[in-house]
Amino acid sequence: MFEKFRLGKRGENIIFTIFILIYVAYCLNSPDMSFESFKTVLTIGLSVGIIYGLVALGISLIYTGLDVVNFSHGEFFMIGAFAGLTMFNILGNQDWIFNLFPEAYGWIIYVICLFTAFVSMGLFGVFIERIFLRPLTKKGGGYTVAGMGIIICGFGLSVVLINVAYLIWNPVAKPFPAELGLPMEIGGIFLPITYVWMIIVGLFVAGGLWVFLNKTKMGLGIRAVAFSKDVSNLVGINVPLYISIIFGIACAIAGIGGTLVGPTYQVVVFMGYIILMKAFAAAVVGGFGNLPGAIVGGFTVGIFETASSFYVSGSHKDLYAFLLMIIVLMIKPTGFFGVQVKMKA
Amino acid sequence: MLKVNQLVSGYGTVQILNGVNMKVDKQSVVALLGGNGTGKSTILKAASGLIRSWKGTIEFNNEQIQNLPPHEIVARGLVQVTQGKDVFPAMSVTENLRLGGFILKTNQQLKDNLEKVFNYFPRLNERKDQLAATLSGGELQMLCIGRGLMSNPKMIMLDEPSAALAPQIVLDIFKNINRIRKDGLTVLVVEQNVRMALLLADYGYVIKDGVINVEGESKKLMYDESVKESYLGGTKANV
Repeated sequence: MFEKFRLGKRGENIIFTIFILIYVAYCLNSPDMSFESFKTVLTIGLSVGIIYGLVALGISLIYTGLDVVNFSHGEFFMIGAFAGLTMFNILGNQDWIFNLFPEAYGWIIYVICLFTAFVSMGLFGVFIERIFLRPLTKKGGGYTVAGMGIIICGFGLSVVLINVAYLIWNPVAKPFPAELGLPMEIGGIFLPITYVWMIIVGLFVAGGLWVFLNKTKMGLGIRAVAFSKDVSNLVGINVPLYISIIFGIACAIAGIGGTLVGPTYQVVVFMGYIILMKAFAAAVVGGFGNLPGAIVGGFTVGIFETASSFYVSGSHKDLYAFLLMIIVLMIKPTGFFGVQVKMKA
Repeated sequence: MLKVNQLVSGYGTVQILNGVNMKVDKQSVVALLGGNGTGKSTILKAASGLIRSWKGTIEFNNEQIQNLPPHEIVARGLVQVTQGKDVFPAMSVTENLRLGGFILKTNQQLKDNLEKVFNYFPRLNERKDQLAATLSGGELQMLCIGRGLMSNPKMIMLDEPSAALAPQIVLDIFKNINRIRKDGLTVLVVEQNVRMALLLADYGYVIKDGVINVEGESKKLMYDESVKESYLGGTKANV
C-alpha cells in the first residue's frame, strides 16, 4: 500500500523547491534588508562558524585517525571552556599582572586562558584515550569502523563527563568576563571584540594544524596513521602513541573553541551537546573526515544559521544547521569535499 | 640472522601456522614458497609484529622479537615490504619515502638514504613529486621496496614483489633485489613465482598447511618434484 505514497525523484524535487521558495520568501519578507545588517550577519556568522569548524575539525580528525565517530567531543569543548574559566578566575585576582601590564593585561590573561585550555584538554584527551578507550579496543572491534562499541561508549563518556562537570562546577551558567576591550569597527560595522578573537584565533589554530600536519615529521606520521595503521606499523611508527596524539590534538582544539565562546555566551555544563550536533552538521556539510572541509562546513553552517535567524526567525535558531545539513545531503551526499573512500588492501 | 622456531600463529581463533622452523643466514637470499593460503604471509606478519605469535620463538640477531610492538622490530632492522599496493596514495613519492625513514634520527641520514633509494630506482627520482596514486604497478612496487630500504634495515622481507606485474617489470624488480643483496642486506622473499624466486635465492623453504614441507638449496629445489606438488597444493587423492 505504500507504493502509492512514493514520491519519486520528481516529487522530491518539487517538495524541495517549495521548501527553498518558502525559505527565500521568508528571507525577503524580513524587515531589515540593508547592506549594513547583511555585513553584520556575515561577520557574526563567520565567527560563530569558525567555532563549529574547530569542533568539526576535531571530530573529523578523530574520524580519520581512529575510524570512530567521537560523540563525546562536545564535552571536551565544554570542559575546555571551564578550564579556561578556571584559569581566568585564578589570574583575574592577581594584581601583579595588572601592575606589570596595565595596558594589555586583559588580553594577556585571555591568551593564557586559551593556552591553558589547549594544553589541559590535550593532556585530558590523551588520558581519556589511553585509560578508557584503548582497553575497549583490545576487547574487540579495535579502532575500526566495526568498533560499534566505541561509538556507544562515546555517548556514555559524554554523560559521564557532563556529570563530572556538574559535580565540580554545578549547573549554574557562569559568566566569563574577559576584559578584551571595546567593540571594534571593521568595514563600517561594530563587532564585539570577542567575535574578532574567535575569527583570528580560530583561523590561527586551523592554519597551525595545517602546517603541523603538512610540514612536520609528526604530522606526516599522523597522516600515515590516519590512512592505514598496518602500513604505519611497518614503517616503524609507534601507532598507539600516535592515536593518543591524534585524540589529544582534537580535544585540545575543542578546548580552545570552548574558551573562545566563553566570553560571548556563558560557560555552562550543558553547552557541549548542541555544539556537538552543529559541529556534526558542519563536518557533514564539509565532507566527513576532510579537515579543510570541516572549517568550510563550519563557516557555511555558521553563516546560514546566523542569516536564517536574522532574516527568518530567531526563535528557531538551533534548527537551521540541520536544515542545511539535510539540504546538502540531498544535493551532494558526500558534502562539499567528500573524502575518498579509504583504500584498504 | 632470523631464526623462526616452532612458530604457531593465526588470525583470531583460526590457527594458520602449525610450528614453522626456518632460518635465514646473514647476507643470503631465502625464498619462502607455497600455494595460496598456506601461511607464507602469516610468517612475515608474525615476524614483523602485526599479528601475535601464539607459541614458539622468533629470533633476530640472537634476540627474541616475537610479540614486540611493530615499530620496535623496525627499529631493530627487520623491515617487511608489503605487496605493491600498500602505499599512501594521497602523498607524494618523496613523502612516502620519508615515511619509510621515519625512525631515522637526523635529516642528513634521511637525505643520504633518499639518494641511495633514487640510485636503486632512478624511476622514482623522475616521479618524486607525483602522488603515489598516479604510479604504475611496477613503480608502486619500487616505491614499496624503496620505502623499506629507507630505514637502513639489516634485513628486508618482501611479500610477493612480483604479484600482478608484467614479466619485464618482474625481471627488473628481481635485478634490483639482487643488487640490494650484493650491497650486504639479507633478504627473505615470499613468492608465487617459483622459478624466479629460486633463481634469485640461495636457499628455499616450501610451506604447506602451516608447516615447512620441503627445504633445501635452491638449485636442488628447482628440480624437486615434491616442490611442484606442494606448490600446486591440496592433498593427493589416494586412488
